[in-house]
Amino acid sequence: MRTLIFSVALLLFGSTISTLSAQSTGLEPGNKSPEIKLPTLKGDTVALSSLKGKLVLIDFWGTWCAPCVEEQSELAKLYGKYKQSAFTNGKGFEIYGVSLDAKKSNWENFITTNKINWIQVSDLKFWRSPVARTYNIQGLPFNVLIDSNGIILAKNLHGIDLDKRIAMFLRK
Amino acid sequence: MKTKILIFLFFAVATSLFATNEAFAQGQNDPWTPQQLLAPADLAKVLNNPKSPQPIIYSIGMQAIIKGSIDIGPVMVPDNLNTLKQKLGKLAKNAQIVVYCGCCPFSRCPNVRPAMKLLKEMQFTNYKLLNLPQNVKVDWIDKGYPMAE
Repeated sequence: MRTLIFSVALLLFGSTISTLSAQSTGLEPGNKSPEIKLPTLKGDTVALSSLKGKLVLIDFWGTWCAPCVEEQSELAKLYGKYKQSAFTNGKGFEIYGVSLDAKKSNWENFITTNKINWIQVSDLKFWRSPVARTYNIQGLPFNVLIDSNGIILAKNLHGIDLDKRIAMFLRK
Repeated sequence: MKTKILIFLFFAVATSLFATNEAFAQGQNDPWTPQQLLAPADLAKVLNNPKSPQPIIYSIGMQAIIKGSIDIGPVMVPDNLNTLKQKLGKLAKNAQIVVYCGCCPFSRCPNVRPAMKLLKEMQFTNYKLLNLPQNVKVDWIDKGYPMAE
């Protein structure tokens, strides 16, 4: 009986962990972040690797994703707060926004209206974007914090947790 | 010891129920029944078999990703909902219809409810909502099901 109860409990825990970790599978802290090279609104390509030397937040989002849209004002605050900061693992903070939008007009209108002033790129392929597969994105919003060498420091931190993690790397 | 086991079991069940609810959250007032949810594997099977009667598939979200689907655009936009209404107006009430969005979980999707409500109001009798509980990437693309060109 006791074995049966433990088996059921373990099975339930297993399925729970599997469900809850759907958001966190894929690249892990310590791994090198895969390169991304996508066009900006103006059409010029910006490579993630071109930000080498800075602490970078790769923000995967879309104008159709309500929580992502809500988060943009928080990202604006973080950007203002840390943009010029010196970190133990990078000089300056940058956000590399990767939109999974499908229509350029939606993407452009949002960026212009909300005066988003950090890097924004997109291939306008919605969930078909190859970067969604490369980064094993299971849902939005999703982000990855990388150091000056492109090494993943953290994944999918939001709000105060993200702020605290960035602050941890400030040079004293 | 027995008490500890029972407490352990209780938390295991409670946590599991919570996780399941988070992943597949659906409101009680959603304009569809569980029977109207179409499993992606079932639609993929139909699409892969040309001899099988093919449903009319409408993408009512951001982009038509599924093979053969008609791109209406997000029906949270009134103009797009109107486009869907016009297209549906030309169909027999018993037409086999499938709608999908796939941007996000149903609990957050702004498009599935207006589409299913419209189908109900127009008194269609054979329509389904493609069951993409997470999104069209995880529940369709990643599984290798047929895609639009």
